[in-house]
Amino acid sequence: MWTSEQRQRLGLEHAALQQEGFGQFSVYRKESDDTYYASGYTLSQAGYRYGLHISIPSGFPNQRPPMYLTEPCPLLMRDGTLVSSLGVSHQMHTLEPSGNGMVQLCHWRDARWRSGIRLHQVFLKGILWIEAYEQHIATGRPLADFVPTMAERA
Amino acid sequence: MTDSQQQQMIRDAMKAIAERKPGRTKLVYDKTKRTIVAVAAGADAPRALNITADDADMFAVVTLSSAWLRDQWGLLGTQRMVSALFSSWDDGDAYTHCELGPQPGPTIVGGMIVRGEGKLPAEAARLKIVLADGKGLVGQDSTFLAPDGSIHHASAFLLGDGNEQPLEIAFADVQPELAMRRSGLLETQVLKDKTVLFMGLGTGGAYAAIELAKCGVGRFILIDRDRLSVGNVVRHPGGVSQVGRFKVNVVRDLIHEKNPDAHISTYAIELTHENREEIKGLIEQANVVICGTDNRPSKLLLNKLCIEANVPAVYGGAFRRAYGGQVLRVRPKQSPCHECFVAAMPDEASDVEISSATDAAEIAYSDQPIAVEPGLSLDVSPIANMLTKLALLELLADKKTSLSILQRDYDAPWYLWLNRPEPGTQYASLPPLSESSDEMTINRWYGIYFDRDSECPACGDFISALAGAYGLDPASLENLPIASGKDALSGTDI
Repeated sequence: MWTSEQRQRLGLEHAALQQEGFGQFSVYRKESDDTYYASGYTLSQAGYRYGLHISIPSGFPNQRPPMYLTEPCPLLMRDGTLVSSLGVSHQMHTLEPSGNGMVQLCHWRDARWRSGIRLHQVFLKGILWIEAYEQHIATGRPLADFVPTMAERA
Repeated sequence: MTDSQQQQMIRDAMKAIAERKPGRTKLVYDKTKRTIVAVAAGADAPRALNITADDADMFAVVTLSSAWLRDQWGLLGTQRMVSALFSSWDDGDAYTHCELGPQPGPTIVGGMIVRGEGKLPAEAARLKIVLADGKGLVGQDSTFLAPDGSIHHASAFLLGDGNEQPLEIAFADVQPELAMRRSGLLETQVLKDKTVLFMGLGTGGAYAAIELAKCGVGRFILIDRDRLSVGNVVRHPGGVSQVGRFKVNVVRDLIHEKNPDAHISTYAIELTHENREEIKGLIEQANVVICGTDNRPSKLLLNKLCIEANVPAVYGGAFRRAYGGQVLRVRPKQSPCHECFVAAMPDEASDVEISSATDAAEIAYSDQPIAVEPGLSLDVSPIANMLTKLALLELLADKKTSLSILQRDYDAPWYLWLNRPEPGTQYASLPPLSESSDEMTINRWYGIYFDRDSECPACGDFISALAGAYGLDPASLENLPIASGKDALSGTDI
């Protein structure tokens, strides 16, 4: 059951996304089960389209919201293997994939998350991950070579 | 003089020697009987023996609970005898009434307390304790003041092979004796009505719980879902005999060893967003909360619940391999909360001890494992000690005691301790302890001040601040878009 404070926070997060220049992303409410998620599409610098999806857990904002890359799916490494097969990878900055194989991007770990972190900061890390991923595809080097370990402050 | 009178005189004399006090009788060697006899003071002693204090301390001791005997007094009056169980320790050197504490000894023997001349049935017990008229013997360890005001003298015997071997006996009136000892330290009984909630009973939390029990705290709420493992034992107050038990139960018994009358409720659960209302209900019963877990999500959720319940909390934690540690005290909406701390000092807040596989898994990657590196118990103790002291001061904040003066010394929200100048940290080049008087060194507590965040999501007005930043009114936000199509993660229709 969502508190009024949580619903207000999500409403503000949606409004802030539009004002912060992240208008391609929105916070959605699922009427069928009264749950929330944030999602949208972004184009990389190279012009490729990617889908990002943030599940809003019932403990948000105290609880870290996981972010998945929903498009393209499946997502491949340069050598043709599945990124999702890596699981929790420091080299590729990924966490446990979703049940249907969507890659979970590592933005903040549970041990680093705090409730003051905003959804536009999470999407920003997703966009940075996508740019680093394309560098991996271009060079074969691990994504961690292009994105240093994510600092506490975004 | 009967044999039993002679035995009693010998025992009195031996006891006086053991206690290094002058006795009313002394021991002599009777050449005729070729044995030792007791002679009343003033009697002609042909040949005194040189018996040392160590030689004299040879009688096994029986300890019986006064509180239990008072409860049984009515039954004893009608039945003339009641049974009791005793822990036998050290090859029969000590027999401790099982009612005195929660943890029995390795061997249990039966005993029978007999009032007056009551006769024991054959093989009824291994121990016999006889209560006789004790008028004039007030104040001795072996006298008992009954609820009806009568005074009784107890004699104890070990039964076997048709013999009765006399034993020393002492009554223990646990709660009054503990209370009297504590009142000299804190000048108050207020702690017996105070409730402390512990979230996490690892080394630090368990240590703090036992220390507060020693201080006289009377009510405990213990929450921890873990069981004690062999690996825990090198640091945890629980021992190998307790391995496999839930930590809440291990610590409950350890608390009862120090404060048998403590009221303790145990919850072998984990704090989650799903049970937050249940946990909040427990927090509302507490006067202070002690957080001994290093798990960030648990800490932040607990922080939020304590602020909502307006209950002060103390958070303790060791740095990696316990090269140091920190304690944060949160007075809701008066001092910085844990969320303020994490936002203001992210590096310090993230430097935690990896003391278990669970801790390691939270920050490890499959291609970058994290080793479990717990610190020494010795290095965790100062942090646990500070955690306890700050909690104690919160419990006594509204009382005048000899500890009140410490409110002046402990007025910072955050305290830092270093056990060693750990290489690779900002403390690596600290001057040696012996060469510094005013620079930062190891083995000192540093109280550190920082400001509360008025826009903190946990203790401040985050929503208003966020809305204000975008010129929005949080009470009249537009409805969120409604999801449609297929669920991206499950592929099912929304």
